[in-house]
Amino acid sequence: MKRLRISIDGVPLAVPPGTTIAAAMVEADRIVVHRSTRLAHPRGMFCGMGICFACLLAVNGSPNVRACLTEVKDGMVVETQRS
Amino acid sequence: MKRRYACDIAVVGAGPAGLSAAQAAAEKDLDVVVVDANSHPGGQYHMQPLGAGSAFATSAQVMRGKTRVRSAAAAGAKMLLATEVWGAFPGFVLHAQDPDGAVCIEAKSVIVATGAHDRVQAFPGWTLPGVMTPGAAQRLAKTSGVPPGRRTVLAGSGPFLLPVAGAVLKAGGTLVEVVEAQSSPLSTLPLLTVHPDKWLEALRLLSPVLAARTRFRFGEVVVAASGEERVREVELAQLDADGRPDLARRRVVSDIDSLLVGFGFQPQIELTAVLGCRHHFDEGAGGWCCTVDRDCGATDTAGVFAAGEVCGVGGAVPAALSGRIAGLAAAGQILGEETLSERRTLARNLQRARRFARGLNRRFMPPAGLVELLSDETVVCRCEDVTAGEIREKVREGMDTIHGVKLWTRAGMGPCQARICGWSLARLVAEETGNSMEDIGFSRPRMPLRPVPLNVVRSSLQQVNG
Repeated sequence: MKRLRISIDGVPLAVPPGTTIAAAMVEADRIVVHRSTRLAHPRGMFCGMGICFACLLAVNGSPNVRACLTEVKDGMVVETQRS
Repeated sequence: MKRRYACDIAVVGAGPAGLSAAQAAAEKDLDVVVVDANSHPGGQYHMQPLGAGSAFATSAQVMRGKTRVRSAAAAGAKMLLATEVWGAFPGFVLHAQDPDGAVCIEAKSVIVATGAHDRVQAFPGWTLPGVMTPGAAQRLAKTSGVPPGRRTVLAGSGPFLLPVAGAVLKAGGTLVEVVEAQSSPLSTLPLLTVHPDKWLEALRLLSPVLAARTRFRFGEVVVAASGEERVREVELAQLDADGRPDLARRRVVSDIDSLLVGFGFQPQIELTAVLGCRHHFDEGAGGWCCTVDRDCGATDTAGVFAAGEVCGVGGAVPAALSGRIAGLAAAGQILGEETLSERRTLARNLQRARRFARGLNRRFMPPAGLVELLSDETVVCRCEDVTAGEIREKVREGMDTIHGVKLWTRAGMGPCQARICGWSLARLVAEETGNSMEDIGFSRPRMPLRPVPLNVVRSSLQQVNG
């Protein structure tokens, strides 16, 4: 099956179609999504269903996109956010 | 793209309850609009895989979901997907956003079928990357065919652990252990004997897990997770007779990269709460539930109906039945038509289905002693990084409700609006004050129910005000 090419923080990744960004990150073992606001603890995806907002990322320059609800598209540029 | 809809009935949630409600109302020739935040209909139960070649594509649950979606659409219900409701006003006006911006839905009646989410209890280390809910792992597996990690420990309580275990295995993950807090799983047998229709389902859920020779442990709970930057180790302890973790009897499971912990589900009551509906606390049904007339699904706010898990966690069977009941009743009210005779058998079946769910839930209640695990340094509210120590301090100063604690510590004030920490927060305040969960209350949802960009709010208001 043709793989989609994306990048996460500049690192290129080939992902099968029909994958969420969160799943692509787990599969690539990049599970630290951001650091928490006050204590700067590492955080990753938690609820997986769009209600906890722990997996917010910038996608193609737009901030605050939920990795768990967003399907990977070819050429996506994914960047982790500060919080 | 159309941005504004006017309809007779707006249904929020396209799971078993919402789809059944929409179909029933649309069959009465009413204009029905179904809104769902996900890009695919079906809810969590009928979750549809994103890829065509998924190992889950032909599962019975997925196929039944497709049938339900087709039936609702064939009856004439309009489906707005990837559309998330963030506000609701009397009259009714629902404000939502989709990938293109603001969407506004006007309706004579609203049926809330927003479902449930994992019930989470905080513990030291629960904020580490790699620790997630069982529901999150199921979604990774079912939507994308990806396991939550290479080596997973699945823990908590309740029958939901079984399908999650099955999904993790099917997606190629390794389950190091499944840890159920209840000491005697055989206690569910008497319940199954009076509901023989459930035997097959139990067998279907158990067989893949048994075939993989998964190691089960009973009567234990997670007491801590640890690791540098991510979870690597989990500490488990036996529960004593009072449901308190016995820290003298601890053991460690190392070399893991994912830990799933959940204690069943809790209803998603934000929308019924902002619509002013009454709620009641029922621990066996997941906590705070929207109060409805079981025979028609009506809440105490005129024109607002609720169906499925939002009225109490019970699974897909009662959800679909209560959805159909609410759909018929809401349509009947608009048409001035009596639907009681159509609802009578459904209501009887619903009662039976809820009885089974209640019996099952009661055998898998979250152990009360888990709150003792929270050290003063443990973060309880993940969004705002509020620790148990900070919450205890405010309780000592006199805050004895979840609302008071929120105002003084910001716990529950972040983007998740206490959906994730609400249960732990309430348990902590209950432990410190001795007050009941009813008295402590729930964190009041506020609009916007989901974070939305200001330009979406602006264009929503322009649509309403012209």
